[in-house]
Amino acid sequence: MKDYDHKLDGNWEQQINALLDGELGQTDADELKSAATDDRELARAIVEAYQLQQVMAEIKVERAPASLNKRLRAIPREQRPAAGISLFQPRWVMALAAVPLAIIAVSIMQPDTPSEAEIAKARQELAIAFAYLDKAGTITGRGIESTVGNTMADAVTGSVNRAIKLQNETSKEKEA
Amino acid sequence: MKRSMMSKFMIGFFCTLLSLPAIAQEDELKDLPGYVEFGDLSSMYGEPKIIINLGGTMLNFVGMMSSQESPETSELISKLKGVRVMIYETDENAGAAKSQFVEVKGKLKSSGWEPIVQVNEEDEQVMIYMKMDGENMEGLTVMVIDEEEAVFVNVIGQLNPAELGKVMETLDVDMDLDLD
Repeated sequence: MKDYDHKLDGNWEQQINALLDGELGQTDADELKSAATDDRELARAIVEAYQLQQVMAEIKVERAPASLNKRLRAIPREQRPAAGISLFQPRWVMALAAVPLAIIAVSIMQPDTPSEAEIAKARQELAIAFAYLDKAGTITGRGIESTVGNTMADAVTGSVNRAIKLQNETSKEKEA
Repeated sequence: MKRSMMSKFMIGFFCTLLSLPAIAQEDELKDLPGYVEFGDLSSMYGEPKIIINLGGTMLNFVGMMSSQESPETSELISKLKGVRVMIYETDENAGAAKSQFVEVKGKLKSSGWEPIVQVNEEDEQVMIYMKMDGENMEGLTVMVIDEEEAVFVNVIGQLNPAELGKVMETLDVDMDLDLD
């Protein structure tokens, strides 16, 4: 055998496949041809591979029936995990976003009806506010008293309540 | 990464949604002529000890609830459009609160509020302002500073303080406010 005997079997097979696919470089192709000239077995292998390629090319591709196509396409869906209902899919995000919007829309259209607990809490808060108003009234009454004396303080204002009432009345008189 | 962004978006969305009623109530009060902006002292004293924001709708419900036991209370509450209270603990460091008083006082004067009573003592300051629109009272503002706390009260609507005592009995107020 010649110096290229080492390329027998696997290597030649790869070269032949590359040649038939048009992927073999010019140098390799020339080398293969040269080898085939001296090696009849290699030449026959190339010819058989070429003939096989031609035969394969002539075989018609049968289209699969529609029912089979449908079943094949369904396989990926069937293979998907059952727990695949993700809340982060766009359609679920849209749906979740729509729920509070619907609640807002309904609450805007209908009168606000606080719960009994909320009203009781508001009542307590109102009581706190009034208690602080009363505290302010007491401090001002005491302040006036310490400045001008008990009798005078009582005569002038008595307490902040009377002072504000007086202001109210004065404003009304001005208007009249 | 995509999921994390979506989670943040959803959390932000729901937080915004939950705060909407409070924002809406505050906005509702801001439009009223008796509303007073007290400013924010939280950088100095931390979050307020008490914050109360009662809008007209809630006050109507409170009034309706009180109508059977005391028609007087119900009537007084029905004239209120909003009640706001903000109380900070000053812990004997009332400097910032006093500066705020001066600032609010300036705002009140420039927007037509009339001073009713003012007490200026070393350890206690009280200012009471009222806003009138002709015969109608539009708001009452009370500010108190003592050694322990700074109190800002804004009543929007009409209030006759002389009736407060009776109303407080009805509301069963059992407050232990330090007046010493």
